[in-house]
Amino acid sequence: MSSKRFVLNAARSSRQGALINVGKDSDEYQELTNSMTMAAEDMAEIGLAEGQFAIVRTEFGEARFKCQSGKIPLGMIFIAYGPPTCRLMGGDTDGTGMPTSKGWQVEVVPE
Amino acid sequence: MGGKVTCTLGEVKQRADFIIYWGGNPAECHPRHFTKYTIMQKSRFLPRGRKDRTMVLVDIRETKSAKAADIFLQIRPGKDFELITILRALIKGQPVADEQIAETGLSRAVVDDLIARMKRAKFGCMFFGMGLSMTRGKHMNSAALLCLAAEMNAFTKFVAMPMRGHGNVTGADVIMRWQTGFPFGISFNRGYPRYNPGEFSTVDVLVRGDCDAAFIIGADPGATMPQPAIDHLARIPTIVLDPHVTHTSRIARVHITTAPQGIAAPGTAYRMDELPMPLKPALKSPYPSDEEVVRRINEAIARKPFWLPDGRQPQMVATLG
Repeated sequence: MSSKRFVLNAARSSRQGALINVGKDSDEYQELTNSMTMAAEDMAEIGLAEGQFAIVRTEFGEARFKCQSGKIPLGMIFIAYGPPTCRLMGGDTDGTGMPTSKGWQVEVVPE
Repeated sequence: MGGKVTCTLGEVKQRADFIIYWGGNPAECHPRHFTKYTIMQKSRFLPRGRKDRTMVLVDIRETKSAKAADIFLQIRPGKDFELITILRALIKGQPVADEQIAETGLSRAVVDDLIARMKRAKFGCMFFGMGLSMTRGKHMNSAALLCLAAEMNAFTKFVAMPMRGHGNVTGADVIMRWQTGFPFGISFNRGYPRYNPGEFSTVDVLVRGDCDAAFIIGADPGATMPQPAIDHLARIPTIVLDPHVTHTSRIARVHITTAPQGIAAPGTAYRMDELPMPLKPALKSPYPSDEEVVRRINEAIARKPFWLPDGRQPQMVATLG
């Protein structure tokens, strides 16, 4: 197993939108926002099995996600926005008022 | 060139025969957009509906929206600004090298075909999402796309519109704009509105620790903002008005449950094309509306003696988005 740098693409999904109305404390919402999707080839390269946990780390913080394979371009991971992605974000907005929350470099370390 | 060349969603529904979604995933995030306003609607000028319209999706990954697209352009992450700039150059016949186009992840043939289709359209519309506005480049990406839409009007009718979300965010921008002249990131601490994103915007104010209290209505920054901003909300007296107990409620000193707007409370919400829509409640709620709570807080404050002894006004920063 080895760590590798990926482009983190955080985004929303329709299931996440529906689950917000169920409740952000619900098990389904928690599971969704604590999961990440990446290409099967990338998972194999760093030694991640389906359903295994990995630490995603940035210069600002880290969070733990359950991995699943999906139709994601190589070198990219997809995570639904939620409290775990907040821990990865830095506070600098580059003078725009908008923090960078998409398309930034993260390190993925299998547990 | 600046500004936004835009229109209403009604005009898109009636006339747009060429639609580009850039950095957005409407199939998941705006699930009624296709069917109510864009590709699926039959209209007076496009009577065959979907057959009369062409839809292009530009994104860095193949989302569910790609299935609905006629053309899916998968570009490299962080290359939106470059591609928009290339399009702006090519529509005006300026030279662009093949290597510069290849850097975006597309070929010259694909880009040439896109430009030909854009110029052939009778009414083009570009919708852009957070994939454009929240990646590297941020507002510069959005500004470039708005410029492209404006410049396309030298050839045919073209407009652009951001894919706004989260209930009534457009309403917050519109109201602040007509009241102060600015859409967000406004400080009133000198007694008149001043606008400076990066200084007076929510995340920046919180991360720097500039505010010593926070009043949050219908938002959940505890689940969306960077951790340093959340940490400051937990340090200061934070008051939350929300129909649900949220992550922000858990770090707040006070949570007041309110009736959900449009379901159990009346009001006005602004659509993403900035049209105000009246909200008619379908249900009754035992909880007051946000408006009612804010009015009662204002009345209670007005009854109290002013707390600064020398008559100075308290400092307030209104930060939206």
